[in-house]
Amino acid sequence: MASSRDDFIIAIRSAFLKKSTQQKFSLLTLVFVSIFTIILSSFDFKFIRYLKAGISEAVYRSSFIVSIPENFLKNTFFEIKEYSSFFQNYKSNKEELNELKSKSISDQITQYENKELKELINNYTLSSDKLLAKIIVDHDSPYLKSIIINKGSKDNIKIGTNIYDRSYLVGRVVEVNYKTSRVLLLSDLNSNVPVTIAPQNIQAIITGTGKNYGEIKYIKEGISNLILEDSIVYTSGTGAIFKSGIPIGRIDVVDTGNSKKFKVDFYSDFGQLKYVFAELVTKTEVKNEDQQAEIDDTQKINTIDTKLQILEDEKKIIEQTNLKLKEENESLKITINNLNKQNVDFRNELYDQKQIIAQYNIDLDEIEFLRLNLKFGHQCRKSFLNNDGFEVGTLEYKSCVMNKGQIND
Amino acid sequence: MTKFKSKGLYFKFYTFLPIIALFISVLNEFDLNYLKLKYFSFNFPFILIFFFTLKDFKNFDYLLVFLAGLINDTVVGLPLGISSLSYILICIATSYLRNITIRPNPIKDWFYFLFIISLINSMNYSILSLFFSYDLLLLSYLVNIFFTFILYMFFTYLFKYYLRGLND
Repeated sequence: MASSRDDFIIAIRSAFLKKSTQQKFSLLTLVFVSIFTIILSSFDFKFIRYLKAGISEAVYRSSFIVSIPENFLKNTFFEIKEYSSFFQNYKSNKEELNELKSKSISDQITQYENKELKELINNYTLSSDKLLAKIIVDHDSPYLKSIIINKGSKDNIKIGTNIYDRSYLVGRVVEVNYKTSRVLLLSDLNSNVPVTIAPQNIQAIITGTGKNYGEIKYIKEGISNLILEDSIVYTSGTGAIFKSGIPIGRIDVVDTGNSKKFKVDFYSDFGQLKYVFAELVTKTEVKNEDQQAEIDDTQKINTIDTKLQILEDEKKIIEQTNLKLKEENESLKITINNLNKQNVDFRNELYDQKQIIAQYNIDLDEIEFLRLNLKFGHQCRKSFLNNDGFEVGTLEYKSCVMNKGQIND
Repeated sequence: MTKFKSKGLYFKFYTFLPIIALFISVLNEFDLNYLKLKYFSFNFPFILIFFFTLKDFKNFDYLLVFLAGLINDTVVGLPLGISSLSYILICIATSYLRNITIRPNPIKDWFYFLFIISLINSMNYSILSLFFSYDLLLLSYLVNIFFTFILYMFFTYLFKYYLRGLND
């Protein structure tokens, strides 16, 4: 009996402490390190947090790279599948699009109304931006339903940030690293979301089941009969973890004989997620009445300053306009001068041309005179035979020639 | 069977294949631990670690097993150290079995494996639900244990085939 106990102890001791030739650490050391790591990870020390974030960054990236071949095969399979049902989808999509188009306008109006009403009700006005994030790891474990996205604290992602697939809620961020974050999906067992069931307006809580659907829990007694098949489930905003009015899924009533179960078929297929939207919310506080009064006083003081500021601005504008006008004036003056100069040039040119024309006319008279002189010169020239004639070169002679030899008395 | 005429790079790669398979299985999104089939899941790393540590495979370093556990925790989102502890406990169990066994028997190993994975999964479940307040499905664990146990023999056959290739 004693020897068998000794054997057991020796075997155990050997198992824990004996190192094989290839092993660098004994198993006992590694057990202690594991336990130490578990204990440390349960504490929220800053150093541990950074260390964890560092390890997560490296592991998520590695996991993404290792998963590339598998993702390629998976995507190829889905693409082939998609192509096979392409035409059918096209037809149904077309019909759906027509329906949606007609609904869209009224929806928009409702949304604007909702926004206005919410701003009236809430103490805060919320403005949100949706950030597109890629899923780098979609490790579907039977125990935990979560995904890793490629946005982290660097992109203002915080713990609790709501994550969407199109406009449908997918989950919320539970772990933030520098460039990656872990999103807990609605299907996870640890996920609890306060919801409203429409059109009955029933408040409830939906929990994940670890499968691809959720379940309605914690409804007020007696009103479960009111819940109908295909009722719409959307977030109620209670608890301020999730924004209100985000669609989640539709109710599927399962009658188990004694009782009814309310399954929620999510609008989004969590197994097919490739990209998601992270909602970055910025809160702006709306001031109450006292604060408003204080603000009014300061605003009064500020009014004069503002007026002065406006006047100064106005002055600046006028000055600028004046400057512009001056510049314009200068340029106009230059243009006028140029035009005047041009005018003078034209006048000179005209005068020159007139001179040329006059010269031309004179030349014409001369030619005419010479022509007539040849013809009638002998009749006008004073000679031995013609005592009535005139001396050549005198005006009388010229006029005689021009009158074709007729001597005027 | 593959024969390695010269003990070069391919041979080295071949000898490191189990540890590479372990790291790929913990890093990859395609989780052998969960095949998205209803009531079907099995833990491939458990089988791999159990088999190769039982055979005292020289390239199956405990430190690398520990690191694989840490990676698994990070990828799955469990608290750091849980999987490492599980894997190391398997190593201890196989080491103990090796010490007390004179004539190895596959069937005995098989049932010993069932006992060990049940123990380790129970420990996992307890730690996660008691200390970390995780909400877990017990049925998933039971299904996982069952199929890991069933598939152990199949993988044992494959791994023996691999080892034969190494000895040739």
